Amino acid sequence: MSVEVRVRGLKKAYLDATRRVEVLRGIDMDVAPGELVAIVGPSGSGKSTLLHLLGGLDVPDGGRVEVAGEDLARLSGAALARFRNKMLGFVFQFHQLLPDFTALENVMLPGRIAGRDPRAAANAAEKLLAEVGLAERLDHFPNQLSGGERQRVALCRALLLEPPLLLADEPTGNLDPATGEQVFELLRAMALRHGTTMVLVTHNPELARRCARLLLLEDGILKPFNDVAPVSEILH
Amino acid sequence: MSFVWRLPFPLLLALRYLRSTRKDAFVSFLSAVAAGGIGLGVAALVLALSALGGLQQALRGEVLARTPHLEIELPHPGPSGDGGQGAAALQERLLALPGVVHVQEAVHGRGWLESAGLVQTVDIVGYSGLVPRFFPGAEGGAPGLYISNSLATRWAVHPGDVMSVVSPRSTLTPLGPQPRIRSLPLTGTFESGRTEDVERIALPVAVARPLAGNPATFLEVTAGDLDAALALVPAVRALLPRGAELRTWEQLNRPLFFALRLEKSVMFVAVSLIVLVAAMALVADLALVITSKRAELGMLATMGATPQRLRRAFLWLGLLIAGLGTAAGAALGCGVALFLDHYRLVRLPGQIYFLDYLPFRLDAPDVAAVLAVTLTLALASALWVAQRVARLSPVEAMRR
Repeated sequence: MSVEVRVRGLKKAYLDATRRVEVLRGIDMDVAPGELVAIVGPSGSGKSTLLHLLGGLDVPDGGRVEVAGEDLARLSGAALARFRNKMLGFVFQFHQLLPDFTALENVMLPGRIAGRDPRAAANAAEKLLAEVGLAERLDHFPNQLSGGERQRVALCRALLLEPPLLLADEPTGNLDPATGEQVFELLRAMALRHGTTMVLVTHNPELARRCARLLLLEDGILKPFNDVAPVSEILH
Repeated sequence: MSFVWRLPFPLLLALRYLRSTRKDAFVSFLSAVAAGGIGLGVAALVLALSALGGLQQALRGEVLARTPHLEIELPHPGPSGDGGQGAAALQERLLALPGVVHVQEAVHGRGWLESAGLVQTVDIVGYSGLVPRFFPGAEGGAPGLYISNSLATRWAVHPGDVMSVVSPRSTLTPLGPQPRIRSLPLTGTFESGRTEDVERIALPVAVARPLAGNPATFLEVTAGDLDAALALVPAVRALLPRGAELRTWEQLNRPLFFALRLEKSVMFVAVSLIVLVAAMALVADLALVITSKRAELGMLATMGATPQRLRRAFLWLGLLIAGLGTAAGAALGCGVALFLDHYRLVRLPGQIYFLDYLPFRLDAPDVAAVLAVTLTLALASALWVAQRVARLSPVEAMRR
């Protein structure tokens, strides 16, 4: 299952000491169902902020975000939480696994939050972990896993409820190139297999180029990347 | 999958966080201080209340053993003019009431007791028939003069020794006012009450009445027990002549029972302060757990956990810590109270107090009140801290 994402005139500003910094100055964006879009941009350009707004984790100062036709601004409290649980999967640069839960339990958590039967959630989690090569690591706690393994567990957790939209914020940013490559391929393969719409924020030019569409966020404006300059030049 | 996963999500999270606090030394220390403080407070409360309960029960027993269950003061003079015949008729009617075990006529007055040049101010209690229940040790004895065993020991008098009872009222004779004195042999002694501040003597009513100066007549009613006596009040009241007054054992000892209740309440509040301080430690502990789990809570929010469910998780955590402390404290308090009571380990100087050891009495309502107050305080503290979780922004929480 996949969904369409529609963003119109999205604005967000922060107060930096006494100065108001406009991070997003009116973003327009459309992501087609099942599309894999990469967003690149220099550090501090607001890529993560945009991703948080797409996931309803933060509130915009202006404009709106629609996911599957649902205006996120109209959702509040429990409805927004339910939306995040059912519709979204998040993968962050830091895995954000819960250290008191095993790999299997971490992956089961969204299912438990959704009120799924624990046995069914455990079966689905086991299956996903086996898909990413962690069948032997089910009962390991995060501190017993390598960086790549933790990120793979985080990826499984994001996909447990088969969300139609996956938001990934620098998912390979904390990994060595080889492991990062592995995790990205997994992410892409699983998104393709599950037909998931995916928005990826990355600093890695090589990974960005392998996405269906590449967008550049610069000076608070999102624009298509036209290949005039190499991605690496823009990023560094 | 263990049964824990079948529990509601907030409780599941709380159980995991309770387990995880053992891994963090400082959080563990604070959790132990909070649970230990609550346990100590509960144990102290249970012990203090059971000591007070034991002491009060002994005191009540001591006082009530010397108090009639129901006391009827007949109008002065008695219905027949001398307090005799009317009292006898009423006595008959009272005895016919179901639940009334015994009715005895009595008079009360003040005077002096004299023996071999020794004089003591005494309360004169005149009784009809045999010696009444509230003269322990002499109860049911033959009519005669009875004094307390402590006075008998002090004056070295024995049954058969002649003693004089002197009335404060005089008799007018042709030679002028003459003191009313009645000499009679000592019949026996009763156990002196250590809570009594005035010496009592028991005399047959016929002897006591003239000495007390034609006082009001009392009928003292004995029921099966204290509660049965209170249940008899409406039926007894219906039989009373106009002007008669009925007083129950509660009313006769009202200042004492009020003081006992007040003492217990003040003690409860004072010792509860320990629990309050421990609840503050619980606040600090939960605040620390929230701070250390900030990023995780943010991640749970991104996964769809509502602020209310996260808040409930910390309420559960607070209740689990407080519950462990409360259970341990209650077990400790009850165990120590039973142990001290069974082996009578807290000794008291018998010459000073009316007991030679401190009894402990566990009352279920007292223990229930301790548990309820403790858990309510803990819940209020946890609720106060848990509000912070509900206000947590997922983005802010995950920012490192």
